[in-house]
Amino acid sequence: MKEIKLLYLYPDMLELYGDYGNIQVLKYRLEKRGFNLIVDKYSIGDEAPDFTSYDIVFAGGGADNEQSILSKDLIKYKDNIKEAVEKGVFILLICGAYQLFGKYYKGVEGNIIPGLEVFNYYTVAEPDRKKRCIGNIVLKVNLNRYEKNNQENLQSDNTEEKNDNLEESKVETEVIGFENHGGQTFDIDSPFGKVLYGNGNKFGDTEEGFFKENVIATYLHGPLLAKNPEVSDYIISYCLERKYNEKIELEKLDDTFEEKCRAQLLEKFLGEKE
Amino acid sequence: MYNTLVIIFAKILNFFANILCKILHKDNGNMLGKIVKKLSPDILKSIKIDCPVIAVTATNGKTTTNNAIRYMLEQNGKKVVSNREGNNMETGIITALIKNCTLTGKIKADFVTFEVDESYVPIVFKKIPLNTLVVLNFFRDQLDRNGEVESLILKINEFLKTYDGNLVLNNDDPNVARLGRANENNKNVYYFSVDKYKYATEEQSEAGEGKFCPFDKTRLEYEYYQYSHIGKFKCPKCGYGEENLYTKVENVDLDAKTFKEEDISYEFLANNIYTIYNYAAVISVAKLYDLDAKETIKTFKLDNGRAENVKINGCETIINLAKNPTGANVSLRTLNEDKEEKELLFVLNDNSADGHDVSWIWDINFNVQNVTRIVTAGTRAYDMAIRIKTSGFDANKIEPYLDLKEALQALYKTNTKKYVIANYTALQPTRREILR
Repeated sequence: MKEIKLLYLYPDMLELYGDYGNIQVLKYRLEKRGFNLIVDKYSIGDEAPDFTSYDIVFAGGGADNEQSILSKDLIKYKDNIKEAVEKGVFILLICGAYQLFGKYYKGVEGNIIPGLEVFNYYTVAEPDRKKRCIGNIVLKVNLNRYEKNNQENLQSDNTEEKNDNLEESKVETEVIGFENHGGQTFDIDSPFGKVLYGNGNKFGDTEEGFFKENVIATYLHGPLLAKNPEVSDYIISYCLERKYNEKIELEKLDDTFEEKCRAQLLEKFLGEKE
Repeated sequence: MYNTLVIIFAKILNFFANILCKILHKDNGNMLGKIVKKLSPDILKSIKIDCPVIAVTATNGKTTTNNAIRYMLEQNGKKVVSNREGNNMETGIITALIKNCTLTGKIKADFVTFEVDESYVPIVFKKIPLNTLVVLNFFRDQLDRNGEVESLILKINEFLKTYDGNLVLNNDDPNVARLGRANENNKNVYYFSVDKYKYATEEQSEAGEGKFCPFDKTRLEYEYYQYSHIGKFKCPKCGYGEENLYTKVENVDLDAKTFKEEDISYEFLANNIYTIYNYAAVISVAKLYDLDAKETIKTFKLDNGRAENVKINGCETIINLAKNPTGANVSLRTLNEDKEEKELLFVLNDNSADGHDVSWIWDINFNVQNVTRIVTAGTRAYDMAIRIKTSGFDANKIEPYLDLKEALQALYKTNTKKYVIANYTALQPTRREILR
């Protein structure tokens, strides 16, 4: 049976907003199609994992206190994590984890919490603790940027075949979630989506999150994948095809609840705006 | 002088408001408090209270425990002034005191008891005296409205640094017991605990907060979990978790509905472990004032959607409020402890008072047993349906309805026993619709 191996980072510390639900959704959508999801957990005190041996790495959002404790631990794996990203391991980061993978996080008192520097963005805490980007959020995402960003890689081998795959896996959709962050994230060169409703990387921003072919980093809770089956399936396709090096057609699932939910909420939020 | 006039004005206002409310069959909630607070922000300082003031705060169980304390005091023949369900912020407390004071602002009672919102404890009790503070638990709750649990605890801890009245604390919640060390000089700290019950587990089965020792950040070790992070914990480094107990409830039997405390046997009507914790707090308060709680606990009825048990056309229905993951988890725990076949209705709203963020439903452990069908309703009925489906429950047996009436019609198509869980703004409309 085909399987995906997921590394779940700090499940006992980054677990504030139901982000674990993302793993449950992936598991559900894989198992319904006869694939397996293996989840390994890593937290402080556990044996060091090899990030490159996984198909997907996941980390969620946590309380400030926990985040400052674990950032010191996570930084030990900086080089291994960079290597995993370069090798194409899928990285799904929500909220606090999104921030941790950047250059640094500058706290309210001006204190700098160093990030993993895997990506070039950085985050600055909003000085007024009471001011946070909180609320429902809707994005327009386009998850197929391979051609634009990695033209050279694409040319290297099997250009034709890869091009075929690209056409098939094109994902353009609205993403619905909930944001709750004081941090304002700057220097994003390729955002996850355009903001249709809500704030985004900063107060009143037009862009949200960070995206690369194998990276989704975002402030969206909800959890992110609950109401966005197309994003879930993008991740699943990516991981399976990378691992088994073949085109894998995902069986269509019954997404009636998801579709009804999306229709209701898109109407509510986008209708509200007009 | 100004405040005296405000009180007189408020009393007159209250008189007419009451008449108007009677005519309109409406509840004026804490309107009075809101108006009075506008006129005089520090009005609480002008209310004269000579009797002991007891306050209950917690994430879950404030209303039930405060009502049970009031009932206990009344059964002991005391005259009690108290606030009403949910009106537990400053304006709710002003309303309760204005309604019950004399024209000169005096409270004539033997006791005053309040349920107080966690974040309002420092604000309210800067202005009025406090003799006994009961703290039951801290769970994650509407993070988009309340913020992180830790900052809430720190606020109360700060207040307690200069407080030396009675402090009644749940020894089995690491986030609560720590408050006993806020003021080293306070000799009036009383811990209560409930001994391991039948369905306690060795592993944590529901989302919780108590993972690290608040004093040295070491991971806490648990002998067992009663529910969520409530249980017997200890810090392996500093030994935190081993306080002397003032009240220790033992031999909890939810089937026979009995427990023991200091050789006294108690009978009760509840069907869940978290209410037993509330009762342990009530017993502690009774002991502090040399009163008897045995009759109270035997006859105290849970109602108004707090594990309320009703019969609808002969169909047994249990209604329970759940506004955060722990609330929902303990409700589902009770459902699972009941071995009969049953159906579940979950009503989820995302109005302002509920918090707009419904991500918390993913912290609910939906591993339900002997449930043949689940109906979901409320403004987020579909979110709930997705959540339940993903937990592995057969999607064909989940019926989402945005309309509450339709949901209830669907629910009562069968005569199977019902469990109803509703969040904050969903509870009363759901109750009304069921009890019609």
